Amino acid sequence: MMSSVFLLLPELALTAGALALFLGDNGRGDQKKWAFSIAVFSLVVAGILALVSPNSSAFGVLTLDPLARFLKGVLSVSVLSVMGFCSGFSAFRSGEGGKPFSWGTFLGMMLLSTVGLFLLVSASDFLTILISIELVSLTSFVLTGYCREDKRASEAAIKYFLVGGFSTGFMVFGMSLLYGVTGSTQLSSFVGSTGASLPALPLAGALVFVLAGFGFKLAMAPFHLWAPDVYEGAPTPITAFLSVAPKMAAFGMLIRFFQGAEGSIILTVVALLSALTMTVGNLGALRQTNLKRLLAYSSIAQMGYVMMGLVAGGAAGGQSVLIYLAVYVVMNLGAFACVIAVTEDARSETMESFSGTAARSLPLALVTAVFLLSLTGLPPLAGFIGKFSLFSAALQVPGLVWLAVVGALNSVVSLVYYFSIVRHMFFGTPRQQSKPHLPAPVLAVVAAAGAFTLIVGVFPNLLVTVVRSVWP
Amino acid sequence: MLSLITFLPLIGALVILALPKDNKATIRLTAVGSALASLAVSLLAWARFDGAAGGWDTMQLVERVAWIPAFNVQYIVGVDGLSLPLVLLTTGLSVIALIASFGIENRLKEYFFWFLLLETGMLGVFVSLDMFLFYVFWEITLVPMYFLIGVWGGPKREYAAVKFFLYTLAGSVLMLLGILALYFSSEPRTFDMVELAKQSSAFVGTRFIWVFLALFVGFAVKVPAFPFHTWLPLAHVEAPTAVSVILAGVLLKMGTYGLLRVSYSILPEATRWFAPYLLFIAFVNIVYGAFCAMNQRDMKRMVAYSSVNHMGYCLLGMAAITGTNAAAGLSGAMVQMVTHGIITGSLFLLVGVIYDQAHTRNIDEFGGLGARLPIFAGIMTVQAMASLGLPGLAGFVGEFLCFLGGFGQKDMLLWVGLSVIGIVVTAAFFLKLIKDVFLGTFNSKWEGKLSEMKGRELLTVVPLVVLTIWIGVYPTSLLNKMAPSIEKLIEHVVGK
Repeated sequence: MMSSVFLLLPELALTAGALALFLGDNGRGDQKKWAFSIAVFSLVVAGILALVSPNSSAFGVLTLDPLARFLKGVLSVSVLSVMGFCSGFSAFRSGEGGKPFSWGTFLGMMLLSTVGLFLLVSASDFLTILISIELVSLTSFVLTGYCREDKRASEAAIKYFLVGGFSTGFMVFGMSLLYGVTGSTQLSSFVGSTGASLPALPLAGALVFVLAGFGFKLAMAPFHLWAPDVYEGAPTPITAFLSVAPKMAAFGMLIRFFQGAEGSIILTVVALLSALTMTVGNLGALRQTNLKRLLAYSSIAQMGYVMMGLVAGGAAGGQSVLIYLAVYVVMNLGAFACVIAVTEDARSETMESFSGTAARSLPLALVTAVFLLSLTGLPPLAGFIGKFSLFSAALQVPGLVWLAVVGALNSVVSLVYYFSIVRHMFFGTPRQQSKPHLPAPVLAVVAAAGAFTLIVGVFPNLLVTVVRSVWP
Repeated sequence: MLSLITFLPLIGALVILALPKDNKATIRLTAVGSALASLAVSLLAWARFDGAAGGWDTMQLVERVAWIPAFNVQYIVGVDGLSLPLVLLTTGLSVIALIASFGIENRLKEYFFWFLLLETGMLGVFVSLDMFLFYVFWEITLVPMYFLIGVWGGPKREYAAVKFFLYTLAGSVLMLLGILALYFSSEPRTFDMVELAKQSSAFVGTRFIWVFLALFVGFAVKVPAFPFHTWLPLAHVEAPTAVSVILAGVLLKMGTYGLLRVSYSILPEATRWFAPYLLFIAFVNIVYGAFCAMNQRDMKRMVAYSSVNHMGYCLLGMAAITGTNAAAGLSGAMVQMVTHGIITGSLFLLVGVIYDQAHTRNIDEFGGLGARLPIFAGIMTVQAMASLGLPGLAGFVGEFLCFLGGFGQKDMLLWVGLSVIGIVVTAAFFLKLIKDVFLGTFNSKWEGKLSEMKGRELLTVVPLVVLTIWIGVYPTSLLNKMAPSIEKLIEHVVGK
């Protein structure tokens, strides 16, 4: 038992950091430096501890394996980037309605959310899955509505909360049915036994409820309707957080969930959901003029692609999911960094903020174009490698050619809205001539993400070998 | 050597990106310099290439490096008699188009950056021998072309740019699925084109018909083959002159080249099945393209539709593969690719010359220019004659061989025969163009406004005219390098 506690060291480090931030917050808004030092320190320590953790199982409900380590590493980096976005964000800097902004509580919430994400990627028991999802959800509600004076943010938080609570109900009900069917809350009792040995009808019912719950949390179509509103209302750095970290962790969990489910009827359902999700996301994004709503729909569509890998299953399917997720996290954070820089500069979240960016700062316009092209899936960028591995995985399964075709055609649709941003940048006329100001942390994220997108695009082996060792 | 040819323009592009944007002369010189260097190396490659030993399984100047071992992807470049002429066409036309772009003043740093990136992409398509690499280069050409049309084009440039991008991307994602399907069907799994072609006897059955069709859509959009051609006139009209030159001269050839290199050599069975349909598509392209061109009053639009018509000849030659005159047909297709690039490229340049001064391309607004601008009129007439297929000029060689090949398809004689209408119509609209623009009465509103071609304009057009006449008189210089490779491909596809 004691040794199991040591296995939780990364989570404990994050919790300790969060508690220190909560207790030390004086509510005066002058603690930015202090709060960031603690938050970044505990996040980095937790990330390193997670990366060096041994292969083991803690309390029988958490699995520590290469997959968990990989996902925790990527999660740490993405949370760190989001903290970077937060540090210079104007709505936070000035505080809300004249009241000082409590950095301590804010960053503490983010650390707690990270604890939930870390637990989720290791979870091997339905109870752990439930608890960690709830931890992530509750902290996300708070982060979304943290600027209380902002009506849009409050609306978003309430919507998020209601939908979140509702979907938890579904999930718990489904899990209780699963317990009834398998007699255990262990994921392993379910993994690989989706076939004949269990009673079919209750199992199918249970899975439908669990899937609906996950679907709500992940904003899969047709459970996605909350996402655009929440993404639009939340402060942009939090939108960035919501669009990468929880999705990464949840898909990490789903890889374990669907392990050994090849041939199960449930995969057909997921395949249909995948096609629906990417199509709905892409078609929805076409009409958006608000950048955050656009990115919300885009992330819905992107998750639809990833589900293709889940359906394909097997080693290739799991690997393609991981490759795509790693690439998606980086390019989406990069795109958000550019959006933050431009919207902060223009004090507007409409697409016209990007008008004439190329004339004002060619490097910024080019790197934004790189992220958007990568999201579209054009070579030689990282996003192409992601799509390439997803399509390969799907084509290896005989009955899934149609899904690959749907995915491929969807990429074409996505080009339209990603390139409407590019069009504004390169063909539009700038409203002002000065270069947009990029705060140092945002610039760092842009540079690092840009370099990653290009390097992995040209030398994909770097990423593919890592992923193959993680999920052989 | 081939890598050098391919990446020299990219190096130039990166250098330009680092230059300050006010230093226009240096940017122009860097652009032309890197393209010239690439041209020089490609001429060297032409000299080194042994035409007699060319063939799909005996690639020359091959460079091979493992690139993504995880997916068995290799970096392989090499040329045979099918690709090398197109490499040379690309490097040559690029230099000319870059010189023709010296008039660009607006955002020229970006312009030359995209242009050189485009050149690298096109060259990469022609030299790569790995399907993955091929696809990467194929897609690389899209983005620069989008910007070149969208920023520097005419009034409807944004729509034209997006339409071009969407059409081509829709085609190419299907192509990607086709490529992956080939990969998963090969044993051992490989993206190596030569290796795949060697395994081609295993690629038979309905499944590979679908693979062939997926690939065909990707290539057909580029060609552009009916009914995927609607992006072309729009893109051509809106694109700036130099970009139209590259678009017509090189980009379209990526489609026909892709068909030969990928579809023909890797899926011979499906190719044989498809040949009659391809011939019908060629017929539509020829006749429909010609009639559309006839109806245009905008010179650039007319030349654009004549490209649809001319690429139809090319497809006709390629469809001859299962006929009795396959060698003539394929040689014709190859010659047509090269000569269409030269002739249509020069026609776009010439239309650009008049448009730069008159700011209109409407045929009805001109007349009697022959007496005022004799050099311009003379050159334009020569190139128009070449385009309509006058013997002695380059266009005739390709068209003649294509039809010779086409008539070897005994079951499809009706369609080949009807295609001849296209030649007549082409002659009609080009002659009408010459009559309306150069003969008749001079439109007095241009009095003193139009001047004769200047040094830089002559510098770009004259080399193309010389080549037009040279190939027209002595096509063997081109055919010699290609013939053995064509023979081998035919032997591979139809097994004779």
